[in-house]
Amino acid sequence: MTSIEYFEVECTEPLGGEYYRQITNDVLLDHNLLRVIHKLHVYIDPNVPVFVACGVLKKITSLVRVRDFVNVNPLEGKMILVISNETYLAPMLKIFWQRFGKDHVEQPDRFTVVLYDLAVDPKEIEEIIIADPSEALYKDLIYAFRCIAPEGFRVRREVYGKERFSFISSEDTLTASSDALVAEKFQLMGEEP
Amino acid sequence: MILVPVTYRGGIYRHDEIVALIEDLGGYIVQKHTLAQEVVLQCFVPKDDIELIRTIAKPLAGEVTDSPLVGTEIAVVIPSLEIHHLPHPACDIAEYSRRLGAKSNMVGMARGVGKRIAGINDEERDVINEHDIAVYVLGNFEVCIEHKIPILRRGVEVPIVLCGAPDKETLERITKPAVDGYVGNVGRFMHRTKESDELAKLDEIIAEITRVLERKREEIAKDPLSVSPARLMDVIREQVPAILDVTSPTPLTVQMAGLRVKLPYDSYASVLKKTVIEDGITIGDVSEIVPSRMRDYILVKILPFSSTNVVV
Repeated sequence: MTSIEYFEVECTEPLGGEYYRQITNDVLLDHNLLRVIHKLHVYIDPNVPVFVACGVLKKITSLVRVRDFVNVNPLEGKMILVISNETYLAPMLKIFWQRFGKDHVEQPDRFTVVLYDLAVDPKEIEEIIIADPSEALYKDLIYAFRCIAPEGFRVRREVYGKERFSFISSEDTLTASSDALVAEKFQLMGEEP
Repeated sequence: MILVPVTYRGGIYRHDEIVALIEDLGGYIVQKHTLAQEVVLQCFVPKDDIELIRTIAKPLAGEVTDSPLVGTEIAVVIPSLEIHHLPHPACDIAEYSRRLGAKSNMVGMARGVGKRIAGINDEERDVINEHDIAVYVLGNFEVCIEHKIPILRRGVEVPIVLCGAPDKETLERITKPAVDGYVGNVGRFMHRTKESDELAKLDEIIAEITRVLERKREEIAKDPLSVSPARLMDVIREQVPAILDVTSPTPLTVQMAGLRVKLPYDSYASVLKKTVIEDGITIGDVSEIVPSRMRDYILVKILPFSSTNVVV
């Protein structure tokens, strides 16, 4: 847990809280999310019942551009793109098709894409944004908290964006007091609600 | 002749001699696993002959160990079959009990989750009641367990062992009326049980299950069964050849006072009923044959001596 600056699990039952601390740690570790969380506060009250998790993320890694995984070699009348990592190949092809049309894009083999007859600067190709990992990250984070939260708590509200997130769930309808609870927990972490 | 449950573990080479020996001594093989070069036999053997089997198995590098759970069917009851309970801890407990010879089934409830919303339906209740014992694996909060255990055990007549995160004393205090066994400090967790203290907890669960089953065995011994379930298994295996075509790992599941036969009830119930055990006594004479709530299987409930006046 060294990478998290603040990690607290607050629970009305101390033993249950200990178990939930372990569960939170295990799930975030399994989903490879510990490295992106800066501060995390979990609050559980089984009497109400309510589960709250709120936190602050570290600066999320920058956008994925073509240059991050492709080597662009300009030749006469065409550009050969050598791919070093296939992870973003599919979204890249989709963007190329939309932007240049399928006639100008060809993929002769798994690690090569050829762009034909384009009046575009290779530098410009390199700068094209392919993906925003933070979108997937927030989805992963919410999924992880769905695993952590007690299973019967099926009424949920999630808020995320701008490197902050909050997750609140209960068996019963969530009220205005739930928002106050989230704000209170943010304050405990020393953050503006 | 007192039959005791044991596990034989040895090489595949000449293991048929051990199988023949157990059968000649009047024992029964409940389950046989062949894993690469190893054979595991879960069997009932006469208590006095265990040493003889050990002696004969010695040159074959086979070993005989006590397996108190052989011949029992255990239901591991969890609030749902979601990632919250599977594979840890529910599968860990089910798998560990299998290693010691039990046949364990997982019963995940349709609406067993939560505190206020938890419930059990008639199918789940009946399926649990078809087992020898139910191990309830509940969560981490005292207040939730206190609230939902009376609901989840409604109509369950088999002995219950309750596992939860609060310690044993707390579990005993919050469960009204009391259940048969308790194991504390085993709540919901989401990592594999591999540390020594966690494995010790699994051993504790097995010890508690064994203790509760032992009490049930004593109860059965007061009014003995008309026929031993293991013997009935042998009779069905010999006389109902259709069972040999069933691909399930345990086509005949031995229970403490009965047998689950994995053949369709409609076509085979009458065949089973008429199957002769010995001297014209049929299975129908000494047992009740009912449809199981598990698929379309048959459940054979062996009647006690007091109801039949026969022991075969």
